Amino acid sequence: MSWVSDLVNAISLGVVYGLVAVSVGLVFGVLRQVNLAQGEVIALGAYSLWMTRGLPVAASIAICCVVCVAMSLAIQVAIFRPLRGASALTTLIVTFGLSYALEAVWLIAFGPNGEPVSMLSSLNSVVLGGSIALRWITLVEIGASGLFFTGLVLILYRSKIGMMMRATAEDFQTARLVGVRIDRVVTWAFVFGGLSAALVAVLVTVQSPLVTPSFGFNLIVIGLVGVVLGGIDRLGRATAGGFVVGFVNSLLGAVVPEQQLVFLPMLTFLFVIVILVLRPAGLFTPRGSIVERV
Amino acid sequence: MNPLLRLDDLRVTYGRVVAVKSVTLEVNEGQAVCLVGPNGAGKSSTLLAVMGAVRSRGDVLLRGTSTRGLRPEALAHLGVAMVPEGRHLFQTMSVQDNLSLGTLARRQGKRARIDERWVTELFPIIGQFASRRAGLLSGGQQQQVAIARALLSDPDLILLDEPSLGLSPVAVDAVFEVLERIRGVGVAILLVEQRAQRAIRFCERSYVLSDGEIRLEVTGGAVEDPQAVVEAYFGR
Amino acid sequence: MRPRLRLVAELAGPLSLVVVVAVAGSAMSIAQQGNAINVLVTATIVVALYVFIGNSGVWSFGQISFVAVGAFAAGLLTSPTATRQTSMPTLFKFLATTQISNTESLVLAAGLGAVFSFLAGLVLMRLSGLSAGIATFAVLEITYDVLTYWDKIGPGATTLALVPVTTSMTVGAVGCGIAIVVAFAYQHTRSCRLLRASREDPVAAQGLGISVFRHRLVAFTISGGLAGFAGALFVHELGSISTGQVYIDLTFATLAMLVVGGAGSLWGAVLGGMGLGVVDAFLSNAENGVAFGSVNVTLPNGMRVVILGVLMVVVLIIAPKGVTGSREFLERFLSKRPGRAGAGNKPGGSLAGGASVADDGSQAVPSPSRTQS
Repeated sequence: MSWVSDLVNAISLGVVYGLVAVSVGLVFGVLRQVNLAQGEVIALGAYSLWMTRGLPVAASIAICCVVCVAMSLAIQVAIFRPLRGASALTTLIVTFGLSYALEAVWLIAFGPNGEPVSMLSSLNSVVLGGSIALRWITLVEIGASGLFFTGLVLILYRSKIGMMMRATAEDFQTARLVGVRIDRVVTWAFVFGGLSAALVAVLVTVQSPLVTPSFGFNLIVIGLVGVVLGGIDRLGRATAGGFVVGFVNSLLGAVVPEQQLVFLPMLTFLFVIVILVLRPAGLFTPRGSIVERV
Repeated sequence: MNPLLRLDDLRVTYGRVVAVKSVTLEVNEGQAVCLVGPNGAGKSSTLLAVMGAVRSRGDVLLRGTSTRGLRPEALAHLGVAMVPEGRHLFQTMSVQDNLSLGTLARRQGKRARIDERWVTELFPIIGQFASRRAGLLSGGQQQQVAIARALLSDPDLILLDEPSLGLSPVAVDAVFEVLERIRGVGVAILLVEQRAQRAIRFCERSYVLSDGEIRLEVTGGAVEDPQAVVEAYFGR
Repeated sequence: MRPRLRLVAELAGPLSLVVVVAVAGSAMSIAQQGNAINVLVTATIVVALYVFIGNSGVWSFGQISFVAVGAFAAGLLTSPTATRQTSMPTLFKFLATTQISNTESLVLAAGLGAVFSFLAGLVLMRLSGLSAGIATFAVLEITYDVLTYWDKIGPGATTLALVPVTTSMTVGAVGCGIAIVVAFAYQHTRSCRLLRASREDPVAAQGLGISVFRHRLVAFTISGGLAGFAGALFVHELGSISTGQVYIDLTFATLAMLVVGGAGSLWGAVLGGMGLGVVDAFLSNAENGVAFGSVNVTLPNGMRVVILGVLMVVVLIIAPKGVTGSREFLERFLSKRPGRAGAGNKPGGSLAGGASVADDGSQAVPSPSRTQS
C-alpha cells in the first residue's frame, strides 16, 4: 500500500512546484519577462519565518506574506520598471545576477549553515500509520495550494482586475489602448507572485525545516524548468508544468534507488533541451497553435 | 475655441527611419477628419503618436492641453479611443469580456451618449455572439466588435486605423454607415483610410499624407480637383 | 590610414592591458602574483564568453561547461598516473594510463571544448532568446551532473589534485593574449560580420539568405574551444579542481564581468574581465582581512558576490552596453565620423519592444530594447 503514500507525496511536491511556477508565470504573462529573483523572495519569506519563530504561528505566517509581497513589489519597482520593454532573456540575466547577489546577502546575514524553522512541526506527525505513511503536512500542502489555485482562478475569471490581467497577458499594447492601467496590473501580478512565494516558503519549511542561502535558487531553477516544459506563455500550462516536474521527481525519488538518482538532473535537463527544440511552446500546447516566440 | 485635437508639427522616427516628418492638423468636436495616402506615408504612426503609443516630437493638444508624456491608457481615460489596424481583439476572451474591457476608460460623472444598448442596436451580432470567443468570429464581425469596444468608452474622439481593410464591398458600406451614426451622436472621428475617395467624400476635412508630410488639405468633402489629390497622393 | 590605425588599436588595447597586469603582478608579493595570474585566466574565460555572446547577441549560461571539460581533461591527463590508479580506481583504462605534457593538455582542452560545444551547438543554435538562455543553462547543469557523478571519466565528487602547476605569469599572459588574438581574428571574418549583422534583426538576415544557425554555430564552437583552453590554464593555475569551481559561481562571475565591461566589444570583455578581476581579487583579500594603515578591515564572506551582482544589475539597467559602451579600444576617437546606424521598426507590431539602436556604427550589445512606458 506504500504506493498510496508515494502518490500523495508526489502530488504534494507537485503542487509546491506548481505554486513556484505560478509566481513566475504571472509575471511572464503580463510582462513577457522572467523573474528568477522570485526564488529569493521565497528565501526571504523562509528566513522571516525563522526570525519570527517566537511569535504565534498565525502572526508568523502573516508576517511572511507581508515580507514576500513587499519584496516582490520592491523587485518590480527597482528592476522591472526600468527594464520595461526589455527582452525576456535580458531580464533572465539581470534577475540571475540579482538572485546571486541576494543569496550572498543571506549568507552574510544568516550564515552558511542554515537556520531551522521548527514552526508547525506538529504537522509532520503521521495521519495514518501502518503501511500507508502519510503526514499531515502533505494534506495541508495539497489543501492550501488547492485553495490558492481556486482563489487565483476566481480572481482571474470573475474580477475586473483578473479580466485586465488576462487582457494584458494576451495583448499588452491593445490592453493599454482600451485603457487598462498597466502599472496597476503589473503591480497585482507581483502581489500574487509574492503571495504564492509566501505560501511556498511556509509549506517547504514545514516539510524540510533547514533554510540555507541557496534555498530559493534551487526551488526557482526547478520551477523554471517546469514552466518551460509546460509552456511559459500560458499560466495554466506553466503551472501544470511545475506540477509535473515536482510530481515526477518525487515519484522517481520514491521508486528508484538513490545511487541511480544522481543522474536525474542530467535526464531532466536533457528533457528540457528536447522540449525547447521540438516543442518550444511547451508540452501542453496543442501542436499547430499559434505561439508567440519568446 | 480650442479644437478637440490639434497636432502641431508632429514628427515620429524609429531609429533613423523617419515615419512622420511633419504633420499639423486639427479635428473639431463632432467632426470627421481623414488621413489618406499610400502605404508607409506615416498615417498609422500619426494615430499611434496621438495615442501616446509611440514616441514623437512636436505637440499633441487635446482640448487645448498638451498630452506630452501621457501614456495610451491615460489618453483612453481622457476620452480618446482607438481601433487599431488589424482589429486586435482579445482573441481568447469572449465578446462580452472584450466589450467590458471597452468600458474601463469610461469617464465618471459624464452623461453617456453611448452605452451598451446603443452599441448593441448598432451591431446586432454583439447580442447574438456575446459569449462566443472573439477569435472565432469572422473578420467583419471582429471589426464590428472592435469598433463597439472602442465606442463603449464613450469617447469624444475615436481613431480608426483602416477599418475597411480586408472587408467585402458590402461590409465597407456598412462600416461607413456606422461611422455616420457615430458622428451623428457627436463623436469626432479621425480616420485613416486607403480608400481615399470614399473617405474624402465622407469627411468634413481630409489630409493627403505622403512621405510623412501633408501634401494637400481638402475641406467640405467635395473633391474639386481630383488630379491634385492624385498628385499629392503619389508625390511629385 | 585611419582604418588601419583603428585595427591596430583594437588589438593593441586589450593586449597592452594583459601586459600591464602581468608586469604589475610580477612586481608584487607572491600571494598577489597568484591573484594576478588568476585575473589573466579569468579574463581568458571572459574573452571566450565574448566570442559567442558578444558577436551573436545570444546570452549563454553554458560556456563554463566547456571550461569544465577542458579543466578536467587537462588536469586528469597531466596528473601522475600512479595516484590516478589508486585514488580513482573506476576510471576508464585509457584515462587511467595516458599521460600527456602540459602543453599538449592545453591543445587537447581547446580541442575538446570545441568538439563539445560544436555538438551542443548543433542542437542549441536553433534556439534564440529565452529558449537559448534556458537551454544553455541546461547544458551547464548536465555537464556538472555528469562530471560530478560519473567516476569513470574523472574524480567524480572528489577533488582532482596533484595537477602540475604550470600557469605562471608568463603562461597566463601568453594564454590570455592568444585568446585575444583568436577573438580579434575571428571578428574580422566574413562569418562573424554576417553574424553581427544578423543580431539586430535575425528575421531580416534570414530573408537575405544569411544562415544565422551556421554562423552562430561557428561562434559557439570557437568560443567553446577558447573556453576549454582557458579551463586548462585554470587547472594548471590551481593545481587541483572540483566540479563546484566550474559551475554557477564562475558562470555568474564571468557573465558579470562581460556585462560590466560591455558585451559587444573585445575591449569591453577584456577590460571587464581584468577590471572586475582586480576588484574581485581585492575583495577576496578583504574578506580575509586587509590592513588600511593601522586599521584592519575584514569584509564579511560573500561581500564580493554582492558587489559583483549589484554592479551587474546596475550596469544592465543603466548602461546595458557596459562601461566601454561596447566600443573597441579608442574606437570613438579613431572613427572618421560619428556615423549613424540604426534599425527601423514598424509601428504596431511590437510596440512593447522597439529596436535597439547602435549609435556609432559599432555593433550594439545584446541590450534590452526599450520604448517609453
